[in-house]
Amino acid sequence: MAKKNNKPKISLKRAVNSIASNKPVTRKRQRGTAVAAAGSSKTLQALTSAAVMLPGLLLPSAQAADGDHINFQFSRYQESKRNLFGIPNSQNPIRADILHGSGLFTLTDRAKFAFSYTQDIWSGATPIVTSPLAANPYSPIRRNTPSGTVVAGASPLMNPSEGVLLDRDLNPLQRDTGMQDTRSVLVLATASPETRNQANFRLGYEWYEAEINASAGFSLENDYKSSFGNLGGRLDFNQKLTSVKFGAGYTSSDISAILDHDAAPYLTKTAFSDQIRRREDGAEILRAERQDWAANIGVTQVLTKHSLVDANFGYTHSNGYLENPYKAVTVIFVDPEVLNNGQTTPILGDVRALLEQRPGQRNQFAFSTKYIQHINPLDAALHFNYRFSTDDWGINTNTFSANWIQPLPGGWIVTPRIRYYSQDSADFYQPYLITQQNYSTQAVDSLGRNIWVDSNNPDIEYVRDENFNLLDSEGNIVSVSDVQPKTIPFDAGKLPGDFSSDHRLAGFGALSGGVTLRKEFAKGIALEAGFEYYTRASSMKLGSGGGNSFADFDYYVANAALTINPGIMSLPGSSGHAHHHAHTGKDNSHKHSRHHLQPAGLMFAHMLDNPGEFMVGYNFMYSRMGGNMLHGSNTVSDPTIVSEGCSTEILCTFKPAEMDMRMHMLDIMYAPTRWLNLMLMPRFMDMEMHLQELEGRPPPEPGEHQHFGGHTTGVIGDTLIASLIKLYEKQGHRVHAGLGISAPTGKTDLEIRRVFRVDGGAIHFGMQLGSGTWDFVPSLTYTGEYNRWNWGAQVSGVKRMEDRNESGYRLGDLFQATTWGGIDLTSWLTASVRGLYTLQDRIHGDFNTLNARIGPMDFPSNYGGQFWNIGLGVNAIIPDGRFAGHHFGFEWLQPVHTDVNGFQLDRKGALTASWSYRF
Amino acid sequence: MKFKHFFIILLISVSGVLASGCAQVPVWERGHLAKHQMAVDPYPLQNHIQLHNYSSREAAASTHSSDGGGGCGCY
Repeated sequence: MAKKNNKPKISLKRAVNSIASNKPVTRKRQRGTAVAAAGSSKTLQALTSAAVMLPGLLLPSAQAADGDHINFQFSRYQESKRNLFGIPNSQNPIRADILHGSGLFTLTDRAKFAFSYTQDIWSGATPIVTSPLAANPYSPIRRNTPSGTVVAGASPLMNPSEGVLLDRDLNPLQRDTGMQDTRSVLVLATASPETRNQANFRLGYEWYEAEINASAGFSLENDYKSSFGNLGGRLDFNQKLTSVKFGAGYTSSDISAILDHDAAPYLTKTAFSDQIRRREDGAEILRAERQDWAANIGVTQVLTKHSLVDANFGYTHSNGYLENPYKAVTVIFVDPEVLNNGQTTPILGDVRALLEQRPGQRNQFAFSTKYIQHINPLDAALHFNYRFSTDDWGINTNTFSANWIQPLPGGWIVTPRIRYYSQDSADFYQPYLITQQNYSTQAVDSLGRNIWVDSNNPDIEYVRDENFNLLDSEGNIVSVSDVQPKTIPFDAGKLPGDFSSDHRLAGFGALSGGVTLRKEFAKGIALEAGFEYYTRASSMKLGSGGGNSFADFDYYVANAALTINPGIMSLPGSSGHAHHHAHTGKDNSHKHSRHHLQPAGLMFAHMLDNPGEFMVGYNFMYSRMGGNMLHGSNTVSDPTIVSEGCSTEILCTFKPAEMDMRMHMLDIMYAPTRWLNLMLMPRFMDMEMHLQELEGRPPPEPGEHQHFGGHTTGVIGDTLIASLIKLYEKQGHRVHAGLGISAPTGKTDLEIRRVFRVDGGAIHFGMQLGSGTWDFVPSLTYTGEYNRWNWGAQVSGVKRMEDRNESGYRLGDLFQATTWGGIDLTSWLTASVRGLYTLQDRIHGDFNTLNARIGPMDFPSNYGGQFWNIGLGVNAIIPDGRFAGHHFGFEWLQPVHTDVNGFQLDRKGALTASWSYRF
Repeated sequence: MKFKHFFIILLISVSGVLASGCAQVPVWERGHLAKHQMAVDPYPLQNHIQLHNYSSREAAASTHSSDGGGGCGCY
């Protein structure tokens, strides 16, 4: 109460006068007003306090993420092909697709909760080692064609068996011409698609001039698991003209790298032999740990009413396994006796690949500063950034970037940007190493005789006498059939302590430029699209060039994002406000919530009623297959699958053991009129399949495609575009039709990587991401309700409108019928039960490219069938509070009967979770 | 030697920022500063993607590494 009494009375008129007179206000004077509280000073103080309370005038820099919001973002990273100096390169370059969803919600006035989820899927050819070009580190892949044999590509070699010729100064020489050739080349290997999932959660608490945050999260990959935590905060001083930010974080990572089964036999791993285990299926796993501690502190300072500056300092300490387990270094072993034999002829180097070795710890320091200037005539802002970083690996970096943020009429903002980056090489970076010793030598005893060992028991040693007889340790002639030379490996002490040829540790420069477009729509929705082109060049390094132009490449990144701000949506006066009242008002709630009652797994089942209304939704679907293999509706044994599951000519060797599918679908709906709704539904998915070798399969042929672990695919699926048309409406009953088109945005030509130099070919039909054809998707829905009860029925279908997709096949047409009933448990919670019948035709046509055909999943007749499910679901509409009007739904679909075409894996069930909001 | 060089740059920059701390901008003159384009990070989503890509292709240290985040970036 005392505070209230002290509060100066605001005279609006006087306040306005005070601004109009534009009196200079000094800090001293402001202080004076607070004490004296007299006359216009009093007004000023009042105005100041009032103005500071306006959210828009808070220093924005300190609260970059203020206001509730939900974001969806899709981004694609695409690299160019690497320069292989004319060697045919049939490998696709690296591509990464990133799917991101995040949100920030105000729990109470002061407490905030934020989450983010990111999924990356990447694939393509990545450098595993750098080699002298003269060592011919690629062998041609030849393919027979009617016109003769052609070179179709090149297969990487890590240990070129012919070695490399060197002159006496150890410069590589071309094998055919004998000319000196000091060029290096990257040796690329294709990786199967790899998925990473990351989730973060953050809790924040805010005071008027301070904020603290605690966050935690994890990142999961097959071979790399991290968990991290962070504490941070912000303090404002000087009437919020100065903000100090600080944070500290810790990350712990577990690495269990599956060494490439193509590369592992050719890799020298002795330095890590303690950490490598052999798995049951023969794969070698390198296990290691890593820890990172990080701290940062920063300050944001307003300089004038048109400019501010932000400066940050960061320190990171890392220790443990800091290597990249998939990178090796070429080491050329030269026999010192041959090198120093006094002749001048070329000598032969033994080319080997050793797993890279980096220091066990790293300390990094970074300083970044940003100057932001408002350009008044254009209402634009110029952001200029500079960052310097250094570490104890010898890598100093300089980064300059500038952004011009230009608002335009109509809610558009366009932001061109440019960036230049330069880094020095790490002390231990080398494209390749040359060492004057043999890779291995045969051991000799004290008398200079070569030592042999029993192949079955390497501890038993022998020597040979002058008659080539084997002698045991006591000098007796023995007869052992299986002996081999005892070898002494190279002396690792003669190599540098650390070495890496990872081009990210080389010296280089990079220039990139891009543009971001943002469009603010009414009702708190913004769309963002960004594009950036990046070019790396060794010659662009600050100072002298980096001398590693063989590693130069370009990439582009394109992304699109949707940002929704529910806070703005529900501002008083907007239609969102009315909508909330509809849900909170007891009388109206039933009428207006009706369209949310349908089970979550059902599509096209509800319509928006009010012209101009929008709905934004997100659906997550997870389905799992596993258990027994079915033939029709009966379980089938392995031997039957081997002989009948594939074709009359081909016996099956593998079967699917389990398959998971996750799909993320955005649901954007708009009602231009009362009777018509338009819908756009982009879909993103990832799938994982594990295979199992069939019992009684025919024995493997040499060079056969072997499967270790599983396959993954992702991420863009087909996109649905639909319209809903209201046909009939009467109290408690309505009928509407849906006319939809599915656009073939999902790929159907995904391939299994090349293994053991054998192309895997197209990945199984069921693992492809789309249909590959334009599809017609009609539906007819009836819904009814009475008191607490609601019910409905829907028939829907998918008709492929093309005979074949680009890969040569067409998925079967689909028909679905479903009916459901539901009851309101409370005014905001509904439960539903549903029956679902699905009929799907087999696949027609077949892959027009190579397909491994190893199991039932590779044959078109083993797709489709009849499926019966029972669905159990709940739906909730948050009645009031911060999330009023948000709708959440869950439904589990339990298979009750399955009758498949041909041979297929049984189903385990499917879960749908949905969120939506209308405004 | 490198670190010494680095700390000198740091010291100059920080003292520059602190020296400017005496500036006064009354609250009612902060209209421009409150605009979207004047935010220190006006595009957090874009920024996040860019940093993710840079950090997988460059060896520079970050001033925001304590924000957390994992992953091998092994490609």
